[in-house]
Amino acid sequence: MMSASGTGNRAMFWRIVRRLLGANRGRLVVILLALGAGAAVTAALLNLQVDAKRRITSEFRAFGANVLVTPRDVNSNGLQSGVSTLDSSLFGRIPQSNGDGLVARASLLYGIVKVTPWDRGAETSDTLGATSAVLVGYQFFGNDLAEIFPSTIVAEPQGRVLTGVDAGVRVSSCELGEQLANRLGVGIQQSVELQANDSHVICLISRIRRFGGPEDSQILIWLDAAQELLKQRDRSSVIALSVPGSPASVQRYVSQLQSSMPDVDVRPVRQFTEGEAKIYNRISGLLSATVVIVLLLTGLCVMAAMTNVAMERRNDVGLMKAIGGATRRVLRIFMMEAALLGLAGGVIGAAAGIFLSIWLGKQVFGVAAQPRLIVYPVSVALTTIVAILSAYPLRRLASVRPASVFRGEA
Amino acid sequence: VPRRAAEEIPYAGTMNRAPTDFMFLRLVADSFTRRPRRKVLTAAALSLGMAVVTAALSVSLDVGDRLASEFRSLGANLVVTPQADSLPLEIGGVDYRPVNAGAYLPEADLPKIKTVFWHNNIIGFAPILGLSVRGISHARDDEKGLRENRTSWPQVSVIGTWANHPVQLVDQTTWYTGIDKTNPWWQLMKGRWFSNDALECVIGKNLARESGAYQNGRRIFAGLPIGANFVIDRGPSLPPLFLKAVCILDSGGPEDDAVIVPIAIAQQLANQPGQYRQLYVSALTKPEDDFARRDPKTMKADEFERWSCSPYVSSIAYSIKQALPGTDVRVIRRVAEGEGTILTRVRALLWVVTLAALLAAALAVGASSAASVIERRTEIGLMKALGAGSGTVRFLLAAEQLLLAFVGGGIGYSLGIILARLVGQKIFGVAPAPSLLVLVAVLVLAAGVTLLGSAIPLRRASRYEPAPILRGE
Repeated sequence: MMSASGTGNRAMFWRIVRRLLGANRGRLVVILLALGAGAAVTAALLNLQVDAKRRITSEFRAFGANVLVTPRDVNSNGLQSGVSTLDSSLFGRIPQSNGDGLVARASLLYGIVKVTPWDRGAETSDTLGATSAVLVGYQFFGNDLAEIFPSTIVAEPQGRVLTGVDAGVRVSSCELGEQLANRLGVGIQQSVELQANDSHVICLISRIRRFGGPEDSQILIWLDAAQELLKQRDRSSVIALSVPGSPASVQRYVSQLQSSMPDVDVRPVRQFTEGEAKIYNRISGLLSATVVIVLLLTGLCVMAAMTNVAMERRNDVGLMKAIGGATRRVLRIFMMEAALLGLAGGVIGAAAGIFLSIWLGKQVFGVAAQPRLIVYPVSVALTTIVAILSAYPLRRLASVRPASVFRGEA
Repeated sequence: VPRRAAEEIPYAGTMNRAPTDFMFLRLVADSFTRRPRRKVLTAAALSLGMAVVTAALSVSLDVGDRLASEFRSLGANLVVTPQADSLPLEIGGVDYRPVNAGAYLPEADLPKIKTVFWHNNIIGFAPILGLSVRGISHARDDEKGLRENRTSWPQVSVIGTWANHPVQLVDQTTWYTGIDKTNPWWQLMKGRWFSNDALECVIGKNLARESGAYQNGRRIFAGLPIGANFVIDRGPSLPPLFLKAVCILDSGGPEDDAVIVPIAIAQQLANQPGQYRQLYVSALTKPEDDFARRDPKTMKADEFERWSCSPYVSSIAYSIKQALPGTDVRVIRRVAEGEGTILTRVRALLWVVTLAALLAAALAVGASSAASVIERRTEIGLMKALGAGSGTVRFLLAAEQLLLAFVGGGIGYSLGIILARLVGQKIFGVAPAPSLLVLVAVLVLAAGVTLLGSAIPLRRASRYEPAPILRGE
């Protein structure tokens, strides 16, 4: 093979590589299995890692609103709450998304009202069961009110909720916190009368919710009804936003919003945003550590397989050297073999990794991880590199002395 | 005769008999001393694999607790209120009920919380008594220069609570708790917390603004810098109360509009000595599962036992309710449930990763132990030629592999502990404690994997025909 021309040389090179690969089918399968398993796990975990960060941030939305827009004025007037209010027009100026998804947003007006169970048949209210409660008027854009007020629905009527004119009185619908409903002894499809100052409104209870917070003793009605009742036309107390995305992107959203609305305070709900940032950093640190660990293990797998190969190749190397193969060229043959194996194993593994990541995503997050196409070329490349690096044991073949190999010595 | 075979002749004669224990040990020891490099390589692969497994296992075992305590930065997950209470009128964290409405709870009972079964899981609690007072800021320490008409003073929310408050425990040690523990996101911008028995207060940052606090364009409250006094009107019959501002609070919440005072002062102002209205408790919990959500009243005795012996947020709430009679203990779902789902997810994720690491390590170790058997072909051929049975050969090699597994597993464990420390230190700032459970798991795994890895080549080895091997074919 030394005397042949360039093309013959190359043909010889590939022929040897082919022969080496085909020499021992069993071993080929073992090495491909090791490389493929490594590549599959790497691809699946890389994919899961990319997906997990997104999933974790969407889990954070379970905490409810994370950004509040409040009046700059202090709210220190005791019972005369609602003095510090926002103009309703601000609500329309809130950006609807922050790049990571839709921002759920609610304009809220708070006030204190007297709540009385209202008997439709008797057309009178039972003043004995009256209690004061916090009224929340809300206008909401998003999928579910729980995005702002985390809650579960305790009772909900089947079918459409009845609203409109009933017994000659304008009836709007309202939602009650569980504690308040228990205190009043009312259920869904019953009505309550709300009184504030000299105005009053009758509401049909459309839902009862469990919030597990102060909202459990509150009553929620549409913002315009609340504004009318509390005589706060076009005002709201606070705008609550549930901004998706990583802590950094929420922070960006907050500062952009603040600069577009200089007259009000835009602040993250520190209780949640700070905790989220900490937890997010921890989790993404953990995920990065796992990827390093998996790569390390893949390398180990291949290294072990290659040690095997090196052991069996002593005679071959001895022969190649004996008929004049230069050490470097012999090594190049083995490196090419390793690279080919890495490539093949990587491709097989990455394909398996797609299914593995879908299954893992289902197990961990209940939703299949979305395949990220970039992950697969990356894991094939990583596996090939790891295979070449792990072929280090083959370097020991360079020191093989043909004579001692042929004598059958170690 | 090849030289290698000649070297192995010294114990050739004994192979005809069943090997004695001594001979057996000598064979094993010989194989380690004669070709140490090969053994070192196999052991290294084993140790590396086991180190990674140890690290992954240690971190996974530890991570639940670490993350759970990380989640306490979200604040209290339980709230205690009087059972016979009227509905709270809470808007933006401030209760607008007048002080004479609703029920109160005795502050003296609070240390009992640290006597419940789950007292170690309770990492902080703080009683709250809020009210609205008339007050102004005043630079001087006496009444000189104060406006006479106190009824025109602005209304200010005052929150009485504990900060770094000592609690005597049953074992005579003192434990400190307060709002600083339950609301860790509160930042003190300057200064320190008030002393619980001094006439001091902490000012919300909106009231501390130098330009004062505004409402509808009207300045209702002059700025209150640190060192100045917050003066509270106590009616016509009593002189006003002077509280020295020691700190500015940045809570990022409605407390920025309030003044935080020691609870004793709020009790005196509300005329409710020794009472509080709400108690926030921050407890380390286990994420709730379907079992935890069941009503304890419907459980059988053994189920109830299991339920109350797991630190679910509901069972901790139950034990606090037992310790503080006449109270309602409610779970702050917003915090507890979000925490539960995220914890469950992350834990599942880590177990998946750990399993993947186990699998990959098992593959690596299995492959290298297979290699170490294949290279011993000549030796096996010789042993068989000298009359050793397949069983003896297998037993001998298995013993060697096991010895290797224990040495490699042990080294791997120590390496893994260091790796786990690095990872733990880097991510959580705290290294996971070495666990005996992990050591046992790693050793068992190492033994299992090496035996499995060498099983196939061993089976083949025991079928070798000695003659072709010795001829070098």
